[in-house]
Amino acid sequence: MSLLLQGLALGVLTGGLYALLASGLSLYFGVMRVVMVAHPAFLFLGAYLTYTVHTVFGLDPFLALPVTVPLFFVLGVAVQRLLIARLAPENLAMMSVLLTFGIALTIEGLLGTFYTGSYKSVSMDYATRSLTIAGVHLPYDKIIAFWVAAITLIVLFAVLVKSRFGQSLRATIQHREAARLVGIHTERVAGYGFGVGLATAAVGGTVLALITPFFPASHWVWIGKLMAIIVVGGLGSVIGAALAAVLLGVVEGLVLVTVDATWATMMFYVFLFLTLLARPQGFFGGRLAHRF
Amino acid sequence: MARVLKSLAIISICALGMTACAKTDEPGGAQTPGQQTGPVKIGISLPLTGDFSEPGKGIQEGYQVWADQVNAKGGLLGRKVELIFRDDASDPNRVSSDYESLITQDKVNLVFGPFSSRLVIPAAKVAESYNMVFVEPAGAAKEVFEQGFKRLFYAAPAIASDHYNYLADYILKLPADQKPKTAAYASLDDPFAQGTAYGLRDKLAAAGIKTVVDEVYPPETTDFAPIAAKIAAAKPDIVVGGTQFEDSVGLVRALQELKVQPKLAAFSTGPTLAEFPTAVKGAAEHIISPVGWSATATFTGNQDMVKRYKEMFGGEANEDAANGYTVGQIVEAAVSAVKCVDPTPECQNKLADHIRQGTFDTVVGPLSFDDQGRPEQAHMIQQYVDGKVQIVLPESAKTADIVYPKKEW
Repeated sequence: MSLLLQGLALGVLTGGLYALLASGLSLYFGVMRVVMVAHPAFLFLGAYLTYTVHTVFGLDPFLALPVTVPLFFVLGVAVQRLLIARLAPENLAMMSVLLTFGIALTIEGLLGTFYTGSYKSVSMDYATRSLTIAGVHLPYDKIIAFWVAAITLIVLFAVLVKSRFGQSLRATIQHREAARLVGIHTERVAGYGFGVGLATAAVGGTVLALITPFFPASHWVWIGKLMAIIVVGGLGSVIGAALAAVLLGVVEGLVLVTVDATWATMMFYVFLFLTLLARPQGFFGGRLAHRF
Repeated sequence: MARVLKSLAIISICALGMTACAKTDEPGGAQTPGQQTGPVKIGISLPLTGDFSEPGKGIQEGYQVWADQVNAKGGLLGRKVELIFRDDASDPNRVSSDYESLITQDKVNLVFGPFSSRLVIPAAKVAESYNMVFVEPAGAAKEVFEQGFKRLFYAAPAIASDHYNYLADYILKLPADQKPKTAAYASLDDPFAQGTAYGLRDKLAAAGIKTVVDEVYPPETTDFAPIAAKIAAAKPDIVVGGTQFEDSVGLVRALQELKVQPKLAAFSTGPTLAEFPTAVKGAAEHIISPVGWSATATFTGNQDMVKRYKEMFGGEANEDAANGYTVGQIVEAAVSAVKCVDPTPECQNKLADHIRQGTFDTVVGPLSFDDQGRPEQAHMIQQYVDGKVQIVLPESAKTADIVYPKKEW
């Protein structure tokens, strides 16, 4: 029983992290119908920048965020304007996969050149202990990851729901043509949307740096998991992705403690297949897809 | 939705083929038409990018140090050695076509093996079909030796399942009141990593030490906390990991966080890399690993190799570089003994026969091989003692006493 509780607790915490990592991916698809294969590569670019800030200046990894978040926002706008916006709209989903695949390889190559292929890690003393409640251990690094994810997602939702930019963004997601007709600069909004997506990757990268060692090719492991999350959650629905992330995190944690690790990893794809068979728009796709 | 499905299909195809996107061929230099007078060309494919790029580069450097030293001595049979490298990007399909083209197009005189059992098997199949001798630095899984290869030799002290032999002996000889009663095993789903852990598991289980957790995780695993939770619930006396780097760090951190305090913790690859102590932040103390090579050992050529490595690459040599170098030492000894270095079956057979029968002095100690090409020696056992890597087993090679039980992490 306590093992189940432990698995459940770890699953919820990990699910929160997954939600953060997948949120950007969901946003790109929601705003622009762009499948952004390079998102995990940007996550690890964020992890490497965090590593640099931490090792060169001796600062806490989270102090990298004031540098990396605005940097990634600008980078996102630039990538959207210079590359994504040039893709033919009729074939956007497919072409964006190929284009962003190239971007991912480029980032991997650059990371290999600048940082070599050896493993880097950012280990903090405060992240190696755990909080024990009623026999259930909650590792601090996972608690931190969960709260950083939660705060980032709350900020993201607040921006999307409350701000004028968020309204334009949602209007663009709901109906691009209509939004354009009522005077929204959909292209500009798309650029900012991409920027916001990459800004979440900066935060995700810092959290990843704290919990796992990484090398330039580390991002490939994540793309399948994150894609599964956003498809299960309903493509384009940020809330759907967040809920699916927690759901899959919990299922993964429980399967891991009750069955084994191979099945736990497979659960992502089992859910992906079941979702595509039973509800191709995703769990939260139909009703929530355009409402966050 | 169809479009999305299509995109997802493309992602999967791309993911499969992703490694095919980066290739850094290094073509050989100008070739002399008469093979007998030109350089001795040695064809090698290595994972210089992709999952195994780090050890792949280590092996490459070991090969380069060896070639540099051989050339300084006048070459092989008076001919300069030229290494021709291909990058297989850690892809088993690429490694086959690399060796195919090295042998048929570059017309190399010899081939040396790649890194990892996953690449060694397809590579050795090609080498075997062209009758080439195949000495390899890093294919230790037992499956490598079950393929019926006649010309494959693994240039390290022991195959995977024998890596922990000295540790098994030590544990089984402990007095009854100290001997562990239960053990937990967690292993990466990889023939090498699993082989190391299972070698120890089988020996301990046969002697009555109960296996309480036996977990295998796929390479995609990013979260080790639930595995550690399982181990925590079983409260084992010892924890053994069949690991590479990322997962060894992930497991150690998770075990530490979940307050698992075994009397002994052993992980195969990972703690043997210089990055390990920083990555686990203070938890490295008393962790045990099998190790095939030591920078301080006085085996034939070891100190020269360490020195030359530093001059050429600026850092400290590691086990991968040593394994690459060892391949060179064995082939060099065989070529000098049989006095031929042609890609013809006659010469390659002579080389293979010589390697099968001889004992070779190398930087990892004297090596000899059985009929399947398995080395007949064992790995040393290292431990972090007072923050330093020390050899603790066997008695004859030790630089410090083994610490058991380990301190809490």
